[in-house]
Amino acid sequence: MKKIVPLTLALGAVALASACGGGSDSSSSGGGLEGLTGTIGSKDFSEQYILAHITGELLNANGADVEVNTQLVGSANVRQALENGDFIGYWEYTGTSWITYNKETTPITDPQEQFDAVKEADAANGIAWLDPAPLNNTYAFAIRQDKAEELGVTTLSDVAALDPSEQTFCIESEFSTRDDGWPGLKGAYGFGVSDDDLVMLDTGVIYTATQDGKDCNFGEVFATDGRIKAMDLLVLEDDKKFFPVYQGALTMDADVLKEYPEIADVMAEVSSLLTTEQMQELNAKADVDGEDPEDIALDWLTEQGLIDG
Amino acid sequence: MTAPVTATAAPLGQRSRGALVARVLAAPLVVALLALGTTLWLASLELDSIEKRTLNTNYIVDRVREHLVLSLSAAALVALLAIPAGVLIHRSQSRILRAVVLTLANIGQATPAVGVVILLAIVWKTGFSTALIALVAYAFLPVLRNTLTGLAEVDSAIRESALGMGMTGWQVLRRVELPLASPVILAGLRTSLVFAVGVANIATFINAGGLGDMIVNGLKLQRYPVLIVGAALVAGIAILIDWLAGLVEDFARPRGL
Repeated sequence: MKKIVPLTLALGAVALASACGGGSDSSSSGGGLEGLTGTIGSKDFSEQYILAHITGELLNANGADVEVNTQLVGSANVRQALENGDFIGYWEYTGTSWITYNKETTPITDPQEQFDAVKEADAANGIAWLDPAPLNNTYAFAIRQDKAEELGVTTLSDVAALDPSEQTFCIESEFSTRDDGWPGLKGAYGFGVSDDDLVMLDTGVIYTATQDGKDCNFGEVFATDGRIKAMDLLVLEDDKKFFPVYQGALTMDADVLKEYPEIADVMAEVSSLLTTEQMQELNAKADVDGEDPEDIALDWLTEQGLIDG
Repeated sequence: MTAPVTATAAPLGQRSRGALVARVLAAPLVVALLALGTTLWLASLELDSIEKRTLNTNYIVDRVREHLVLSLSAAALVALLAIPAGVLIHRSQSRILRAVVLTLANIGQATPAVGVVILLAIVWKTGFSTALIALVAYAFLPVLRNTLTGLAEVDSAIRESALGMGMTGWQVLRRVELPLASPVILAGLRTSLVFAVGVANIATFINAGGLGDMIVNGLKLQRYPVLIVGAALVAGIAILIDWLAGLVEDFARPRGL
């Protein structure tokens, strides 16, 4: 009950602000988010840093006064911070929330149905999902280009048809136990490798191991990772559409979004531009060229004409 | 130190026997309670398919075996390398050698083992040997330092009388100095062993298995039963190994010390 008074006040303020601002160009200050404060969080990898800064800069360009905190380590802690109210929002992936936080074991193949399901499930947790970006940070398997040509593989079905001695995989230990990971994948494609022969590595090590090909031919990677292009890896097509969709979207404290529904309109401008390829490019700037995620976010928003440089 | 002990031999003997029994039984009791508590808690849960892939006997036995083989090998290798290194430094009396080796051992312990293991995996190779090297680097210092301390603490009068009895330098080392220093050296080895058990978790990052598999898995997927069982197993193993090493220490202590 105690939320009602500030909420009404805030709604009044929003109404006033948008009346004054006249609802004109959102890139000018006074985009209807006056009074919005709080912290946008991120998980601990480059894509998340970039997305958090893009969000923070864009909200602030529209009148908000939010901070960006990219210091937390461990995805679970970030989600916890949102649930506790320490963060007002962060970018999450549909499949991740479905399996990790909502404790489901089987993902939904259709992207829209998966999004709707997770949005509904998280509504019960007080978390609101804004419309997703097209980017799909799903699992994928990659191989170095020259070896792919030598083996003649372009799809995961091609891999399953190879001699078992060439079917060598580097995966994360997490991937080895999830239903949408190795157990399901092996069943779907019928790979001829014993579970004991899987090479289990940390995420970062997989890229270098895949590039030099000593440990394995095929490495489990994330589809939006900038290192795929930089290391000249070929991503194999998931021709049986086994992997679920991990579409990125801003998740928010539902109360905050209720107070500031304009956030959805502001974010919609940017979300639609964030495709898998676009994200790979932005991630490469951080992971390959070593640029600062905040600079990458600012430069990109300016380039797109979403903020005044 | 010896005088008061002989003076009050009888009552102290009584008391120390009670203390000994407590010391011998406490650790296994704690581990048994830990195991019982975890098992009962697990039995009360309904595990999903992700949890069932790790919380089964085959998987757990394999991970425990990998963890033990790795940490015990690392401790054995540390003993094999750090004790001779300590003896060599002690014998040479070279301050430069001492400073260099101790600094290296300090760096080994101060550098985050997880960084070492990943760096080695990238520049060299993945797997058991890499994890072993990282563990040895991390657990080297306690044995080295205790070997140096143990040898330095041997009374020079004892050493001289041994030499006066006609022993060669090698005989003095083997029959006088090392036995006298052994309690301190063993204490160092015990510390290294416990270090190795704790740090062997990082092996999971480079395809060397171990209980780190369960911990990382449970953490990343937010499956707390997996995380807690993995962590409880590492803790239980560390306590038991420390306990066993303590018994060996008592047993191996030369008579009269």
